[in-house]
Formats: sequence, C-alpha cells, structure tokens
Amino acid sequence: MKKLFVFISVLAIASMLLTACGGTAATPTIEPTAVAQPPTEVPTIEPTQVPTKAPTTEPTAAETPTLTIWVDSLFADITQEIANGFAEEYGVNVVVQPMAFGDVRDQFLTSAPAGEGPDIVEAAHDWVGALAEAGVVAPVDLGDRIDEFATPAIQAFTYNGQLYGVPHITENVALFRNADLVEVAPATWDELVDICEDLEATGLEYCLLLQQSDAYHFYPILTSFGGYLFGLDDQGNYNPDDLGIDNEGGIAAAVWLDQMVKDGHIAADIDFDTAKSLFNEGKAAFYITGPWNLPAFQEAGVNYAISPVPAGTEAARPFMGARGLMINAFSTQPALAQAFLTELWATPGAMQQFYESTRKTPALLAVLNEIDDPDVLALGEAGKYAEPMPSIPEMASFWSSMGDAITIILQQRADPTETFKNAAEQMRTAISGQ
Amino acid sequence: MKANQIAGGDTPPASPRIITPNAFTILVTIILDALLIWLVWKSVTDGLWFFTVTIILIALIINYAFLSRKNYPLRWLAPSLSMLVLMVLYPLAYTLYTAFTNYSQNQLLTKQQALQVIESRQYLPEEASAYQWVAYRSPENKYLLLLIADNKQVILLAPEGQALETDISISSDNIPEEIGSYIRLTRVESVKYLTDLTNIEFGSPPSTYRIKSLNEAAQYQQRYLYQPDTDTLLDQETGMLFTPIEGTFTSPDGQALVPSFFVPIGLRNFNRLLHSPALRGPLLTVIGWTFEFATLAVVTTFFIGLFLALIFNDPLIPGRIRKLARSVFLLPYAIPFYLSILVWRGMMNPHIGVLNRLLVQLIHYSPPWLSDPTWTKIGILIVNIYLGFPYMFLICTGALQSIPSDLLEAAEVDGASPWQKIYQIQFPLLLIALGPLLIFSFAFNFNNFNVIYLFNNGGPPIPGAPTPAGYTDILISYTYRLAFEGGRGGEYGYAAAISILIFLFLAVLTLIQFRYTRIWEQASENV
Repeated sequence: MKKLFVFISVLAIASMLLTACGGTAATPTIEPTAVAQPPTEVPTIEPTQVPTKAPTTEPTAAETPTLTIWVDSLFADITQEIANGFAEEYGVNVVVQPMAFGDVRDQFLTSAPAGEGPDIVEAAHDWVGALAEAGVVAPVDLGDRIDEFATPAIQAFTYNGQLYGVPHITENVALFRNADLVEVAPATWDELVDICEDLEATGLEYCLLLQQSDAYHFYPILTSFGGYLFGLDDQGNYNPDDLGIDNEGGIAAAVWLDQMVKDGHIAADIDFDTAKSLFNEGKAAFYITGPWNLPAFQEAGVNYAISPVPAGTEAARPFMGARGLMINAFSTQPALAQAFLTELWATPGAMQQFYESTRKTPALLAVLNEIDDPDVLALGEAGKYAEPMPSIPEMASFWSSMGDAITIILQQRADPTETFKNAAEQMRTAISGQ
Repeated sequence: MKANQIAGGDTPPASPRIITPNAFTILVTIILDALLIWLVWKSVTDGLWFFTVTIILIALIINYAFLSRKNYPLRWLAPSLSMLVLMVLYPLAYTLYTAFTNYSQNQLLTKQQALQVIESRQYLPEEASAYQWVAYRSPENKYLLLLIADNKQVILLAPEGQALETDISISSDNIPEEIGSYIRLTRVESVKYLTDLTNIEFGSPPSTYRIKSLNEAAQYQQRYLYQPDTDTLLDQETGMLFTPIEGTFTSPDGQALVPSFFVPIGLRNFNRLLHSPALRGPLLTVIGWTFEFATLAVVTTFFIGLFLALIFNDPLIPGRIRKLARSVFLLPYAIPFYLSILVWRGMMNPHIGVLNRLLVQLIHYSPPWLSDPTWTKIGILIVNIYLGFPYMFLICTGALQSIPSDLLEAAEVDGASPWQKIYQIQFPLLLIALGPLLIFSFAFNFNNFNVIYLFNNGGPPIPGAPTPAGYTDILISYTYRLAFEGGRGGEYGYAAAISILIFLFLAVLTLIQFRYTRIWEQASENV
C-alpha cells in the first residue's frame, strides 16, 4: 500500500513539474500542434495568450518569425544570400539548411508529419506525386502570376490540378560533343553513326557515352524512335496503364541500342563518373548528359559543344526536370511561407541573382528571356520538345525495370526485343500491385 | 545511499538488504517520470500508439526499479532494460505490426495526422467574396483588420470576441494611418506578423473572416468536418460524406481524399507475397547466392584474419612490428564502409579503374567485375574480405592471447610440430571462443545490404526475370527492390512482411547451427 502511495505521489509531482515547465518554456513547442488541429477554435486562445505575454517577458528578438528552408547544398549559399534580403526588408529570419539532395525526399517524408520538417523544402518536380499523395506538401497559390513562369515548369509542379511548388530552374539532357573531334553536330542518329565510324577508324575508343542502368538518359533515344513512357488520359494526366516502352517505337529503340553496342559505338559499364572522366580526357566524342556536368567540363578545359539529342524516326524528346520550393503541409506558418515565395523568391530580382550564381535555366520568364549565355541557350534548344518527367508514384517501377533492361542490352546478355517486352511486363505487374 | 550501504555491511550477509528510496532517488524518478509523461502525451496526440506503449513500459520499469525496496539491484539494470525495450523490443514489435498494415509512402500518416491535414483545408462559400486587406496593430500586440472589397466597399473588424471601439469614417480612398492606438501595418510589416494574423478569426460569428494569404482575406470556412461518432468526414461545401475505406476517406461515388493514412489490413501483405511472381521467378537463385555469400564471406574473412593473427601473435616477430601491424590492419575497419565500397567499385571499373588497368598490364585481361555474374560475385567477396578481415583479425588475436601459453609450451616439450600446435591446440580452443561470433557474423552477412547494393546494385540484372532482380541480389536487397523500387515505391508494410519471413528463416537457421555445433555446451564445459 505504501509503495503504491510513493509511486502515485512521484507521478503526481512529476506531472506538476511538467505543468510548471509547460507554463514557461514549453509553450512554443507544445502550442503549434494544438493550433494546427482544430483551426476554428484556436484563434480565440492564441492571440490573447501569446501577444500579451510576449512584449513584457521577451524583447523584440523573440517576435521575429523564422522560416526554415531545406535546400540542395549546391544552392545553399546563394539561397541564403537571397533570403537575407527577406530578413532585411521584412524582418523575417530565414534559416537555410544545406541538404544532400538525394536524401531530402525521404527525410522530408518522415520528418514533416512528425513536426520536425522545414517550412519550405526544395524539391525535384518528380517528387510532387509522392509528396502530394502522402499529404506532406500544401498547395501553393500563385494567382495570376502563374503566367510569369515557363508553362512546362508549372505543369511539372501541378498534380491532380493543384500547383504544389514554385519552380526556379528547369533542366534537360542534350547531346554534348567534343568539338575538337566533331565540328558539326549530327542531326540524326545515322549522321552520328557515320561520324563514329570515321573517328573509330582513327583509333577513337568511345564514340557515344550512355550511362548504364539509367532510364533517364535513355529516354530521348526511346522517344526519338516513337516510344514513350506513359500515355495521357482524357484529362491530360499520365495514365500508368498505357505503357509505350514495348510498342513498335520502343522496340525499335531497343534494337538500335543493341546494334550500337554490337558495332562498338556504345560501351557497357559506363557510369556517371566513368563517363565524365572519359569525356574530360577527350577520349569520347559524344555524351548524353545535362547541365550538371558543365562545371566539370569547364574545369577540365574540354572543348565541348551542345546540341539537341539526334532524331531517329522523329525528334527526340528528353525529360524535362524542374526544381522548385514547396510548402510543408505541417508548417505552423504556411501563410508566411507562401509570402516568402511570392513576395521575394519568385521575383525577377531574386531569380536573376540565382541565375547569375548558378547558371541554371531559370523558370521565371522575365529572367529566361534575357539570357545570353550560349550554353544555357543551347540547352534550351535541346529541350524544345522536352516533356515534364511524370511525377506519378508509378515512376519507381520505370527506373528499376527500364534501368535493368538497358543494362542487359548494353552487356549483351539477352535479345533486345525480349528484354524490353519483359521490362514492360515487369512494370505492368508492379503497377497492378502484385 | 551511503548510510544504507554501511548499515548493510553491518548486518550478516544472509539477510536481504532493504533500502528505502531516499530523497535523491525520488527526485531523479520524478524528473524521469516528468520526461516520460511528456513523451507519452506527445505521442498520444500524434497517435503513435506503439511508441506510447513502449514509453509506458519503460516508465514502469524505471519506477519499479527505483521505488521498490526489494529490487535494489534492478536499479543498475534499469538503464539497459529501458534501452532493450526501446532499441530492440519496440522496433521488433513495430515491424511485426507494420507487416499487418498498409503503411507505405502513400499511406504514411496516422489517422490523426491525415485528419489534421484534411481538416485544415478551407473553402470559400459561393455567396462570399474575397477581399484585400490592411491590418492595424496596437502596441499591446492587438490587431484590427480592414477589408477592401472589389467594389471599394470597406469593412473594419476586430478579432472575434473583442469589441470594436471606433467612430472613424473609413472609405477605400481614405484608409487611415491609425485607428485609436492601432497603427496601420505596411505590406512589408504585414509579412512579419502574418503568422499571428492568419491565426486570428476576425468579426463576430457567424460571419467571421480569416486572412488566407498576404493578398486575400475572406469568410473562409473549414471544408471538411470530422464526425467522431460516425467516423465520417463531412464536406461542408457539397454536403458529401466520406467514409474511411482501408485508410482513405472515400465518398459514395468513389472520390478519394488525399492524404490517406495507414490501417491494419490483416494478412494481405503476406498473401500478396505468396501470389507474387517474385516467388516464382529468381527467388531460388537469390536464396542460393545469399547462403553462398554469407558462408563464403565468413570463411574467407575468418581464415585470412586468423592467418594474420597467428603470424602477428608469434613471439618471433619483434613487438614493435607487431603493434604497428595491428594498427595498420585495423585501418579498413576505421574507414566508413560506404566510402570503401565506392572506392573499390571505382578501382574495379573496367574502363578507368586502377585495378583493371594494372591487371591489363600484368595479365592482359580486364575482369568484367560489373557485368559478368561470376566476376561480380568474386569482386564482392574481395571487397568484403577487405572490409571484414580486420574484425576477424581482432577477435582472433584476442582469443589467441587468452589461450594459456603453458599449453603450447607443454606441447612443444612433447615434441609437437608448429602445425600440430595450431591445428590441435589453438584452433579447437579458438573455435570454442569464436563460434558464437562466427554465427553472428554469418547472420550479419546474410543481411549485408551495403556491400551488395553499393558494389553493383545486386547486378548484373537477370534477363527475363518477372520482377527486377540481379545475379548478386541477396534476400534483403531483393526485398528492397520489391518493396521500394517496384510499383509505387516505398511500401513499408510489404517490406516488413518480407523481412519478418527472412527473420524467421534466419532464426530457425541459427538455432539449428547452435544445436549442430553444440557451441553452448562446449563453451560452458570449458569455462
């Protein structure tokens, strides 16, 4: 009996201690969860409690609202620089946290519902589907200003008719060539093969570099023969039940790839680092890659030139990728986050600053139309027919099955037609949820 | 405590020591309890039931250990018991639970969290219109809101429940700079107070206004209302009722509200696995290589580690060299595995890899480490030897040093050859000490995802496989492909179901191994 008494009194004191703490220090941490749950009730409590306390107990520093943004570490410095303007002009602190971009998506998915995520997160547009379906991002309202952006970039961030992000850059792959070896860009694959044969006669080992198990870089080849990934339904959304990788065009692309490998124009076992290093050393004539490799090429001093991916039976359509800022659905200050995006971020001044620092194709037309950088212009030309990479969650199976199929053909382990048919079959099975 | 211990020392050791918890213990318990109660409260509001139960369990352990008089020794075990519950039992139980739910990337939230997101959505009733707004702020941090309609009409509002005391006439052409003690906020200043402002409901019910964004305020209404008694969501705009079906609020005509939340779905994950083409296809290849890899990984690293340990334990080698060698051999163990594997992958690249260039010069052959199944397997084993031998070297050295030297000296006197000493004395004694560690190492390699996935992604891929699979996929990397790279990605429930089957498989296997080698019995005889 006495033991129970001790136990209960310990618990009682503990909870008293807790409420005592709650009164002073714990308020900011506890309050937000309560605020977000019943939106209609809270305001009556919130404003009377917090503001009356704030001026007396705490000086102005505590009043300054703070926004947290997760950004690819590549862009962290310039983003912080732009955001500092927000602090100066509006009195809102912005903390930019550099992140390894590859981990952002998973970390955000787990930390946002736990209330530990940032207010704003930089995302690749193809995450939109997964993030929106998971309910961790909130729609963004750009109003009429939506027309100030390149349409494909806006489309890329739209999921089920809702805009989920403010795009800042777009990117797509192109055909990079070593201009010391090849003067004139080939317009078709046949022209490219002719050039390859000439160069190989003089001892060139690698003609066209294509990254292995990489469906992303293969996509313009697939589309140049009439293949596609997902068809569109009546409303213009991607339809995962309509696969175009084992249609006539898709198979033609597979057979073409197989022939290129057999003729020695494309080598197996080329990964990103290998390709970059071979191209940098001038050992390769062509490389299908994107703007992310530009700094490396410039540093290596290789004389590169950029042109659209050659046409097969039709013009090649690479994937367009876009990056944008999204708002955490569990943020306690969504309106402030939205104001940051519309008032500061998506303005010509900020985007110009961002462009000058990063040299990435801007999504804001006011900046895009003023560009005179030849590389960015050439990349834009190569992306003329680019399609926004689908963001539906079914993409997971595409990367995996298609990546394997490309590897199998590159390594010459099976018949190309069978391989692509099997990849499509794998995808259908996976999508049907078996 | 000190007094108690001294008192305990005076009493005969046979009688149990009874120690009353003193003020300090009670204080510590109170602080710990406060922390735990707070955690319980946090996790309950987030709907994390498993975590709640875990924390309560830990709280009970701590309270029992610290407050019970009889169980004084438990106190020293309490931290490790708590850790056991938190780090071992909780993840295990949670994985087990997850296997019976549809937890996935699209059904990531708990019901409460999903409701929180859905209920925060607002709508603008048809008859209502949106306004531009200007806010006023008093030095006491109170606000007034001035709405400006498209037709230039203005409305001045105070927060709900607060009287509006002003007689200033306001029109859209004449927006005053101050109203009483309230001073108008510029657009720039409004941003700073935006979060405060958006949390306030202005006006008096039923017509209250809310600020939605910097440009807009209106009579926004909460769109979805949860009705706990019927467990339905009411769409207040259309009057439609949404009922939860398998974790998604769905209307009678099949409209679904995102986000979904995760719910138990019984045995469906297991069923799905049983009917999956993944089982018909390359599963046997995968299981075969898993065993091959786990066995070879243990055997190769163990013998190389043992060999080096024997050499560098020999008194013939000068002490300084021995010490130096031991430190050098430990280096691979100190570098993050992740990094080492990628470096090895780079060295073994057939086009630019250092190792391959060297081999071409030496033997005129460049092994296709990444594209040939057999060579990939050899490559993985080589990398694994590099990563694993320091551990084996370490434990072998330790075990060798614990073998009494008089045994070896006696053997020498009896005329045993060095080989006999190793084979008949050191090796059996070593195995007794290291057996359990070797079995542990087998279990570790059985699930050694890092080496397999980072070296070649489980590749080269198997042509014609019904689900994506590679020749060097082991069970755990195959699971990863099935649950995270196929379909819609991130299917945690399914992954948990598969990993539970792997766990059972591995548990049975380990039990058999223990029985077969009778390591425990032998060990206990020798201790």
